[in-house]
Amino acid sequence: MIGRLKQILIKEFIQIFRDPRARGIVFVMPIFQMVIFGYAVTTDVKHVATGIYDLDDSLASREVVARFVHSGYFDIKATISREEQVQKLVDHGKVQAVIRLNKGFEENLKAGRKGIIQLIVDGTDSNTAAIVLNYSGKIVSRYSQDILIQRLARLRGPGQKPSPVDLEIRAWFNENLESRNYYVPGVIALLVMLITLLLTSMAVVREKEIGTMEQIMVTPITPKEFILGKTLPFALISLVDVVLITLVGVFWFEVPIQGSLWLLLLATSLYLMTTLGMGLFISTVSRTQQQAMMSAFFFQFPAVLLSGFVFPIANMPEVVQWLTYLNPLRYFLIIIRGIFLKGVGMSILWPQMAALMVMGLLILWLASRRFRKTLA
Amino acid sequence: MSPRRIGAMARKEFIHIFRDPRSLGMGIAIPMIMLLLFGYALTLDVDKVPMVIWDQSRSQASREFISHFLGSRYFSLQGYVDKYPEVEKSIDSRRALVSLVIPSDFAGRIASGRKTPVQLIVDGSDSNTATIAGGYAEVIVAAFSQDLLLQEFRRSGGVSPSNPVELRPRVWFNADLESRNYIIPGLIAVIMMVIAALLTSLTVAREWEQGTMEQLISTPVKAPELIIGKLIPYFTIGMFDVFLAVMMGEFLFQVPLRGSVALIFAQAAIFLIGTLSLGMLISIVTKNQLLASQLAMVATFLPAFLLSGFAYPIRSMPPVLQWITYLVPAKYFVILLKGIYLKGVGPRVLLVEGIFLSVFGLVMFVLANLKFKKRLI
Amino acid sequence: MAMAEGEKAVVVRDLERRFGSFVAVNRVSFEVEKGEIFGFLGPNGAGKSTTIRILCGILAPSGGTGTVAGFDIVREAEKIKAHIGYMSQKFSLYEDLTVEENINFYSGIYSIAEEKKKERKEWVIQMAGLGERRSTRTALLAGGWKQRLALGCAILHEPPIIFLDEPTSGVDPISRRRFWDLIYELSSKGVTIFVTTHYMDEAEYCDRIGLIYRGELIALGTPEALKTEWMREDVLECVCDRPQEAMELIETIPGIKEVALFGKGLHAVVEKAETFQEIIRQHLLDNGYRVIGIEKIVPSLEDVFVSLIEARDKAEQAQAEVRK
Repeated sequence: MIGRLKQILIKEFIQIFRDPRARGIVFVMPIFQMVIFGYAVTTDVKHVATGIYDLDDSLASREVVARFVHSGYFDIKATISREEQVQKLVDHGKVQAVIRLNKGFEENLKAGRKGIIQLIVDGTDSNTAAIVLNYSGKIVSRYSQDILIQRLARLRGPGQKPSPVDLEIRAWFNENLESRNYYVPGVIALLVMLITLLLTSMAVVREKEIGTMEQIMVTPITPKEFILGKTLPFALISLVDVVLITLVGVFWFEVPIQGSLWLLLLATSLYLMTTLGMGLFISTVSRTQQQAMMSAFFFQFPAVLLSGFVFPIANMPEVVQWLTYLNPLRYFLIIIRGIFLKGVGMSILWPQMAALMVMGLLILWLASRRFRKTLA
Repeated sequence: MSPRRIGAMARKEFIHIFRDPRSLGMGIAIPMIMLLLFGYALTLDVDKVPMVIWDQSRSQASREFISHFLGSRYFSLQGYVDKYPEVEKSIDSRRALVSLVIPSDFAGRIASGRKTPVQLIVDGSDSNTATIAGGYAEVIVAAFSQDLLLQEFRRSGGVSPSNPVELRPRVWFNADLESRNYIIPGLIAVIMMVIAALLTSLTVAREWEQGTMEQLISTPVKAPELIIGKLIPYFTIGMFDVFLAVMMGEFLFQVPLRGSVALIFAQAAIFLIGTLSLGMLISIVTKNQLLASQLAMVATFLPAFLLSGFAYPIRSMPPVLQWITYLVPAKYFVILLKGIYLKGVGPRVLLVEGIFLSVFGLVMFVLANLKFKKRLI
Repeated sequence: MAMAEGEKAVVVRDLERRFGSFVAVNRVSFEVEKGEIFGFLGPNGAGKSTTIRILCGILAPSGGTGTVAGFDIVREAEKIKAHIGYMSQKFSLYEDLTVEENINFYSGIYSIAEEKKKERKEWVIQMAGLGERRSTRTALLAGGWKQRLALGCAILHEPPIIFLDEPTSGVDPISRRRFWDLIYELSSKGVTIFVTTHYMDEAEYCDRIGLIYRGELIALGTPEALKTEWMREDVLECVCDRPQEAMELIETIPGIKEVALFGKGLHAVVEKAETFQEIIRQHLLDNGYRVIGIEKIVPSLEDVFVSLIEARDKAEQAQAEVRK
């Protein structure tokens, strides 16, 4: 059996690599995708385009603007002098926020009255808008606090300067809270699934469509060998791809990898069982490559969205959260983020590893059973 | 050009589609599922962040402080710890994503008006949630500090409004900041590109693989006739998907539509022609279904999802990538859709985007025609 | 649509097609008359399909010139396509379409006039014997039906020339016979038919045959001409006992070009029949074989072909030697 298996594997590899384009797709594409993902996928909000509409033009108003600028989040893109400009700039998307200070701002503050800072935010991108509101709120409350402290100090006379409670935020594992470090390991998991699922399902169906399947079935090859022959090459290719894109992640994006690479490969292998199994299953229910592709996509898309890759599972409706327990990607993401950023090992990750193994074996078993049936 | 030949191609293509009900069903189901997921299940909003607290002070003051956190919907208390290793374990095992650490001299410092540091340890591996949770915590602490200062102030005999400086925010266009209202319009663009990727990218390649293309190129049929004939059915499906999405947006999710529906459909039609032609171009050039599918993923779906501004703000991307997004047609369509839905603006404001989409459509169609050779090699 | 009087249907001069360093078609020249059934015979990979594809305008030649229906194959390929019918090797019908739908499709593609549409469709269905199977999916048809349907779709527009690439491969003998009846019928109506095949017996049905081997045209003529004039050697048919062993014995006789089993007897290719008839007979008798008969026969096309190929191979070998 080993001999025949070797033959099948050789044939598969030759077929895959004969076409130079296939080589590109299989090795270059994932790296390329990784780079794009890594750079594009960031939910950090910076460089908020801002317009300043300062009718007061005083020391205090300029102090406000300076604080906004110094925060590093806001980029002043326009200085507004007329009301109509505000509407126009926001409509055309030239600015996302407008800070407006009415005449008399400084006066109010000096007189002990309230100073009002108006902020207009473009809500079409509500995520960014919420974050902008958050930033602005912090800046203004800080400013407000500082003024209060000044007034208090003046009242009490020289001596201790009153201080509030100071929150010190310390991040473990990803000190600068760079969203990239959060996403990049996830992207690795994602790409593994995208590659193996689509390729496996289409590769098997391809033989069905072209008609070479019948020919192979007439030979002494057993279904088990055929399955292994079809899935092993992609498993191997995926493992290579994992290493490649991990290298890109570590050396190009400088995402730290605290944990064990071997554990990563082990987890990947377990995860591969689920995706290859799924790919195999899809191939058994598809007659044409078109159907395989649609089915693979039909499965992939919710799997990605409901995995915790971007959208936190904890904030999904209860029912949906229960559904995610069936999603192998969910476990793989936990493992991969754990290994990369936390450096945790088996002792912490064993529940997820176990879940992957169980699901992997189950899916593979189901898929091969179905496969055998369709051949018979 | 012969309308008859175009008609024959279109009719044949329709038959193919309807004889493959699964693919057709998926072509409609996938957009629906995407809409449902994005409308109901997916949100970037964060609340109920699991938290453990290490109160080293155990004083009235610290309990008062903690109550502000407990009362907030943003945090969900998982328990109290009293040792450092326990904090580690909680975060490692994901029992908690944040840990509040209150120093033992908290009460004393507060009473004497000295600076009082409180630590919030966050799990950086989930940087998104960590950032947001940190933001919430800062707000809570700022409010707490403000209260303390005011008490001090009034005790010292001063008169002051509650806050010297107040921020009055006004959110335009999406006042409730419903993330749904901004995701759904953009989603329509993504759906369009997905349909193009999945359907048209395989059609020509399939005929090459099955051998029927060899037969076709020996007939008098011309490249534009073949391409247009093949586009027609997929265009119909695409427009139907747009219709479905707009209907779902309107009636299921109640996403407010301020602008003109007709404009949406008009722009969608132009966009669709472009993306379908792109899919067809991929099919023509690769002549191989497996390669076409991979290429389609990368050339249509991924850019639409990642680089269109649909989910990830373009302004936050590195400059190189921002330049690249100018080449992503979905970006313009997303701007158009958001503009029409949320801002209610019309063609004059969105002229640039509209022109770009038209140019894109034209270029793709022309390219597909140029690349289609009625020769075997 | 009609060609000029006296014009040839197909003219090819020094036609060449290279794929990288591989020469698939090597300076082939021939002409096909109007109304002829012209056969291209040769083993797989000889260059038959490549040639036919060039003539149909779907593959560009690397060198040489030619015309089909009077149109230049390099510059007027699209015009050619309006005047020919092509049946590719894989039959190329749409498997998920029904018989009728396939016909309707090609009807539209060839822009068949509205008045003639129904008539042509019925003709094809009748011709192919698919009257009861109009609404059957093409995928479910057996080989013979598919073949005739494919032919029908290729001639819906009544082209003056049709190109058939291995039209009978994988089809049962009865369907093959039936198919050739159709070909004759078309030919009698003045249609020029260019067909490639690797079945020797089918070659006999053609008016003229071209023998193609390794991209070269090594023989050209009517079947009779090939059998009588092209083959330099003679063929003897020997019927005796223990043919297998007898064959090995005869092989040892000097001057015997080739011996092969053929049915119950042997075919021996010799320089001159009269001389070797006796030599073989004597040899066999001397060695205790019972000789039932040794006769000169008209060579079969297979004999001709094998002999020509061998001659070609030997010539190439000699050339290679000289070059060394």
